[in-house]
Amino acid sequence: MSIEVKNLVKTFDKKVILDNISFRVDDGKILSIIGFSGSGKSTVLKLISGLLEKDSGEIITTGGDIAMVFQYSALFDSLNVFDNISFALQERKDLRGKYTRKELEKIVAEKLELVGLSGIENKYPSELSGGMQKRVSFARAIVTEPKIILYDEPTAGLDPISSTLIEDYIVRLKNETNAASIVVTHQMSTIRRTADSVLMLYNGHAVFEGSPDELCREETPYTRQFVEAAIDGPMKMN
Amino acid sequence: MRGGILKVYYKATFTYKIIRALEQTVTELISTLGQIVIFGIEFLKGLKNKPTTFKELMYQCYRFGVTSLPITLSIVGMTSIIVAMQVAGEMVKQGAGNYVGMLVAILMVREEAVIMAGFAIISMIGSSLASEIATMKVTEQIDAITVLKVNPVHYLFTPRVLAGTLMMPVVVIISSLVGIIGGAVASNLVSGLTFKAYFDSVWFGLNTHDLNVCIMKSFAFGFVISLISCSCGMEARDGAKGVGLATTKAVVWSFVAIVIVDLIFAAACFY
Repeated sequence: MSIEVKNLVKTFDKKVILDNISFRVDDGKILSIIGFSGSGKSTVLKLISGLLEKDSGEIITTGGDIAMVFQYSALFDSLNVFDNISFALQERKDLRGKYTRKELEKIVAEKLELVGLSGIENKYPSELSGGMQKRVSFARAIVTEPKIILYDEPTAGLDPISSTLIEDYIVRLKNETNAASIVVTHQMSTIRRTADSVLMLYNGHAVFEGSPDELCREETPYTRQFVEAAIDGPMKMN
Repeated sequence: MRGGILKVYYKATFTYKIIRALEQTVTELISTLGQIVIFGIEFLKGLKNKPTTFKELMYQCYRFGVTSLPITLSIVGMTSIIVAMQVAGEMVKQGAGNYVGMLVAILMVREEAVIMAGFAIISMIGSSLASEIATMKVTEQIDAITVLKVNPVHYLFTPRVLAGTLMMPVVVIISSLVGIIGGAVASNLVSGLTFKAYFDSVWFGLNTHDLNVCIMKSFAFGFVISLISCSCGMEARDGAKGVGLATTKAVVWSFVAIVIVDLIFAAACFY
């Protein structure tokens, strides 16, 4: 077990965003969290990564670093790719000074190779395409060998081919690192290609939990509406 | 029922809206002040961890001290020329030509150079610091720093606030010199006052206390401007609009803050 979330509750200005959400993700597995915009998917990631404080409930992790890939990459635009990827190794209090320049170069080259972008160390984020930026942010996320990787809509804004490439890299990183991963997404292709299990949120509640196959097969009104992208159904857009 | 109607009526009145607006302004003021104090404490805590590189500190010093110089020198130089033009002719006519240099120098060192350089730095560097950090905030770069287990206040504030504090006296000293020289040239052109008479008056009028206060005030201004600018940037939210609001807030708060600091120094050192 790598992440276990029990009865997680989060409210913003008295509005309940997450109401008693529970799930677990084992090492080497990917959980996909799906649901409407504003259903609290990204909030789950922010709570696990420590960017937000939970109101109540438990988030149990089995140690090690937690990495997060942001929706729009969130690369540091004043730093080149090398400094972006090696940022944690250069700036983190417990890692600062631990690596020589040569070692950093080796680590960065390895991570870039893993995401299929060798030789772009000196480029700046503004010189890269959206898909490349996303892959650099993958490399930055795994540089400290995290045990948990969180992806916030990793294929948002990408063309279908770049999306497929990103989905392949999510699976590849899972296999390489054996990390427990959570992918927040809206896209059925991402769910089908990456997820071992799926959690569907609506109005702060988990309305479905199961495998991607079960999501497509299950005849509940929620899952049908999501899979068929239907406007009519139990889930109403705010 | 009647109470409910009265409540609705009261909420529609002008008085109610004024009270609400005042309440919001005071709340925001206290909240921003609190945040700045918290960030200030966090910045001081981070200093012992050496959270910046020499290269980054030098870059921020260059940004603060060098890029701001042309505008700062123009503003301070012009101000001293205007002052000299206004008073030199009149003072020479009244037989007080020997005091022109002293007047311009005291004005420059005690007040004009520091406050004008402060305004120029706020407009150029403070706004740029605030918008830079605010953009990082709304594009989740600050969240990324946090998730990578680096303290964003230590990482972002240390080089900027240190550079601001260290470079402001340099900018002010250069500005004061340029201001005094500008005053000499203007006095000479307007009233025919000799450079020797002007500079003799400068040496006579200025004393070490003035220079010490000027330098201490510059350190304080640099610290306050950079801390407020970074703090306002850090508090940004809601996309492009938030970046704009954070920048405006940084400029307004910095202006108010340096005037208050100036008042405190004036009261403490010259009263």
